[in-house]
Amino acid sequence: MIFRNSIAATALWSALMVMICGVATADESKYPDLKGQWRRAAGTGGLLAGGAGGLRYDEEPPLTPEYQAIYDENLADMMKGGQGIDPTYACVATGMPRFMIGYSSLEVVVTPEITYILTERDHDFFRRIYTDGRGFPANMEDNPQFLGYSIGRWLDEDGKGRYDTLVVETRGMKGPRVFDATGIPLHADNQTVVQERIYLDKANPNLLHDDVTTIDHALTRPWVVNRTFRRVVSDKPIWFNQSFCAEGNVHVGIDKEVYFLSADGLLMPAKKDQPPPDLRYFNRTQK
Amino acid sequence: MPYRRSIGALVLAATLCFSLAGARAFDDDKYPDLSGQWLRTDTGTPRYDPSKPAGRGQQAPLTPEYQAILEASLADQANGGQGNWQSGARCLPPGMPATMNGYNSMEIVVLPEITYVMVEHDLPIHRRIYTDGRNWPNEVEPTFQGYSIGRWLDTAGSGHYDVLEVETRGFKGPRSYDNSGLPLHADNQTVIKERIYFDKSDPKLLHDEITLTDHALTRPWSALKSYRRSADKYPIWREENCPGVTLLTKIGTEVYFKGADGKLLPTRKDQPPPDLRYFNQTRQ
Repeated sequence: MIFRNSIAATALWSALMVMICGVATADESKYPDLKGQWRRAAGTGGLLAGGAGGLRYDEEPPLTPEYQAIYDENLADMMKGGQGIDPTYACVATGMPRFMIGYSSLEVVVTPEITYILTERDHDFFRRIYTDGRGFPANMEDNPQFLGYSIGRWLDEDGKGRYDTLVVETRGMKGPRVFDATGIPLHADNQTVVQERIYLDKANPNLLHDDVTTIDHALTRPWVVNRTFRRVVSDKPIWFNQSFCAEGNVHVGIDKEVYFLSADGLLMPAKKDQPPPDLRYFNRTQK
Repeated sequence: MPYRRSIGALVLAATLCFSLAGARAFDDDKYPDLSGQWLRTDTGTPRYDPSKPAGRGQQAPLTPEYQAILEASLADQANGGQGNWQSGARCLPPGMPATMNGYNSMEIVVLPEITYVMVEHDLPIHRRIYTDGRNWPNEVEPTFQGYSIGRWLDTAGSGHYDVLEVETRGFKGPRSYDNSGLPLHADNQTVIKERIYFDKSDPKLLHDEITLTDHALTRPWSALKSYRRSADKYPIWREENCPGVTLLTKIGTEVYFKGADGKLLPTRKDQPPPDLRYFNQTRQ
């Protein structure tokens, strides 16, 4: 009888184990549910529309006088029809921290070793955040990247036995990069450090926050911007799938000038009285 | 006392379970381990069929019309042009099936609902292969990578998946198989079927058996691609950004070089310069 009880207990135990472990196999018990499609939440986060210059931040960027002058010159060029210092007119990657503005929808893919952030925009289609305990590589500066090298750490801040916050530090970037489409500059030395805290809203699990702190020699102090993304509530969200800047880009950079391409495929000036490109290397009699 | 033992046993079980769950994160026991960095095993120009030389050497079963398009592409390239290969000339993604040619390195992330294939070629690109049992949507927005639906199979009956079968449709162009400009049909009705699996005798070797049906072909065309996992614990992932480094620029139908001084250069003999009719030429 004792033996029978043991068998029954073992069977019950095994069933219980399977149930408990079965739930845990996808590790959803350990990590927050970040699945699905995330889009920048309107009216929240660091970007606010308005003003003649287009996008405005909640606060003025804390630029050093030198970089404020660069920014002002950039804005003046944009007002004349130029591209200022924003390198993305040529479809160059936005890099960090601009990547996290959320121009297009985002997907966050969590695995124990790496969290991937995938986007649908231009030439920054995914970011890797290493959470396998590694340190920054010693030779990171030999291979700088627009998105940099990101190391993350999962935290259980609530002490509920489940990770709730991903803290990330990104270094090893290259340029040119700017903060946004208005051309707020980052320092040319590319010594930027970006620190992030990524977490679900406590009251609304369909809101994802990314508190981004940028430390850069173009700034007088660390600059904190809070970004918020809203989950698209659908089990099969539509991915607008990889908008390739180069497909429809109408900007052509030649030498130091940026021109437009007209609908008939011909070069056009982007600014009043813009000089045409220097065609000295062509046999002009062939024209 | 028995109560205390039960609590102890539960704690032990919970601990055991937690560590088991950690080790088996993301159903690793059910799916093959495809983590890490994958590099193609063939050498030379990345191409559709690695067992044959590139370009004409691929012996693609092209219709006469598309054979002529290939010949024109090769002739243009011989003259300094880019032919049909838009990936280089315009920094466009290669699209499927060229995505699987093994340019640079490849990463495969397996989740139960989606398998992601991430590749660095000219720009970072990713494929989503849906394995959540969905059907083809009524409408698919055409993309260079297409819309991929996959199914995991346990062909050995071992209780573990060993083959990922994939079908991909819903493309847009321009796409070509490789940098020779070997063309796919302009109607973009391509259907690509893949079987992705480990080699039975060499478990470090990953195969992708691809069969392509396309109206530019006289019959379905198959190729076997193979990749080997990098031995590096922390492999280096390159960040390719074609627009940041390309020396080519397309204006209208012509592709030009940008010289070291930033000025435009012809890519072929007697290439006409850009038409500057919209500029006030007196200011030049």
